[in-house]
Amino acid sequence: MSSHPSTLERPPAFRGVGKSLLLTLPILLWSLLMFSRAFLQPRHELRLASVVVMLFMTVLFFLMMRTGTTYRWRRYFFVALGLLFPVGFIADLVAVRGTMSIPIDRMVSGDTPFCYMVIPMLVIPAALTRTIIFPGSILPTASNPHSIAIMIGLWLALTLVLGKAWCSYACFFGGIEEGFASVAKKPKIRRIDPRLRLVPWAILLAIVLLSAALFEPVYCMWLCPFKAVTEYPAVRSVQTAIQMAIFVVLFLGLVIVLPLLTKKRTQCAFFCPFGAFQSLFNKINIFEIRIDREKCIDCAACRNACPTMAISKESVQAGRTLSSCMKCGACVDACRKHAAVWHVKGTATGPSSERSRLLFLYGAWAMATMFGGSVLANSVSYLLHFVM
Amino acid sequence: MRRSFTAVLGYFAGGLTLLVAILVPFVLMGFFSNTVARAGLHVDEGYSGGVVARTIAKNGYRIAVNQPVKPHLLQRLEPFVQIVWEPASALPAQISDEVDLDGDGRPDVRVTFAVPTDAQAPLRVNVASLNDNYQSLAGVGKESFSRLIVRTDRGIIVRVPLSRCPSKSSSH
Repeated sequence: MSSHPSTLERPPAFRGVGKSLLLTLPILLWSLLMFSRAFLQPRHELRLASVVVMLFMTVLFFLMMRTGTTYRWRRYFFVALGLLFPVGFIADLVAVRGTMSIPIDRMVSGDTPFCYMVIPMLVIPAALTRTIIFPGSILPTASNPHSIAIMIGLWLALTLVLGKAWCSYACFFGGIEEGFASVAKKPKIRRIDPRLRLVPWAILLAIVLLSAALFEPVYCMWLCPFKAVTEYPAVRSVQTAIQMAIFVVLFLGLVIVLPLLTKKRTQCAFFCPFGAFQSLFNKINIFEIRIDREKCIDCAACRNACPTMAISKESVQAGRTLSSCMKCGACVDACRKHAAVWHVKGTATGPSSERSRLLFLYGAWAMATMFGGSVLANSVSYLLHFVM
Repeated sequence: MRRSFTAVLGYFAGGLTLLVAILVPFVLMGFFSNTVARAGLHVDEGYSGGVVARTIAKNGYRIAVNQPVKPHLLQRLEPFVQIVWEPASALPAQISDEVDLDGDGRPDVRVTFAVPTDAQAPLRVNVASLNDNYQSLAGVGKESFSRLIVRTDRGIIVRVPLSRCPSKSSSH
């Protein structure tokens, strides 16, 4: 990779086909390795789905290399993940228990699949009493392979690599609203109070303290919009009926209607406490987005493009994004002056930005292929099963 | 000089992150999962039912009596004792057992329920209290975590609510 400043100018075809293919080769090999187990499965739908997803991930990475842009190619993967995850998850649930609701006997026997959204709420009870306030099992069982230890281990590993980029490369919920945010050409609602960015922090603080006091995962029980498309407590009482109503209203409002109107990921930007929790890990992650003040003309293209309002006037002045930046690359792609750049902390901004982007993308795409790719392949295999 | 040193450190950390990414599926995920598994954590007793205190052998099956479960500080949980009839496959069609829950040698509750051959069939339990510390139940199914009868892979679980909250250190 040339470090000459002229390489920063992005022509329509950023790289030649040969060089792009060469840069894609490691991802192709990684994908082959990640899906090799699926190729040996007896279910031919899963084998076919794995080939399709492997090609999908590899082609998207090739296009990132070829065009020099990140956001729109990542978005194809991310929206596919968000829309297809519920298909596979619900199909798994219906196959195992015949319903999307969690019966009390499944909770008592520790058969609830673990969800990473609950992690911030586990911290205080686990630290003080060594108790996990979730109806799962610590170790995997035949009826619950998504055990607490496995899922926390996976989250820890991915967070080390991705930091807050978890929210744009691994979270299967964020893709749903990113899909709806992409539908309209222009936003119907343009003015959004920037103070709303603080709401996820307030919710995080509230649910962590309430969960520690009440010894139950408060967010999962009362506030998670994605319960509407995954699993929810069986409606047996007025309380569970109210909970279900809250899940549906939040899902419709924050994940469908507001993204359609604002072109922002409103649930992620203004509600999600797990996203706020992940922001803490941006501090220890080596990758970031910087804004070169010498090139910036204050056109606000980056601020308008950011799906989670992680760039403010003040942060542009400081040459940085806010800690809630999830490194989706929207601002970098939107900046015509190439002032918004990928950056490795400690290095100089400017000539090395493409090197920084590559270093970040290899790790992020490897994780996306490993985690999201397997989710996609499972869901696609169900769709193929229904079609074939 | 300092700038180039931090640049070297930055790229080294970036390379290290890439190495971590490569190691995740082969080493790191398992390492982290095993570390979590070995951390001595346990699922809240309100869900798991707590630990087994005693096992009573019956004719062809056994009854496991757990330690009483009490709620944490502000936890919305009625204190209860979990009793498990196991294995479910060895149970007679009708169970009617007097069970000593506190280990003093005297029966505390009489538990009665039918065991349908269909594993999906709903269960109902009657509990007659023989000790003021335990509440009676009439025709209870899956009312709450503290009063229920459910079938699991392990056996049939009955939870009997306590009349008063036991002290944390109470055991059988």
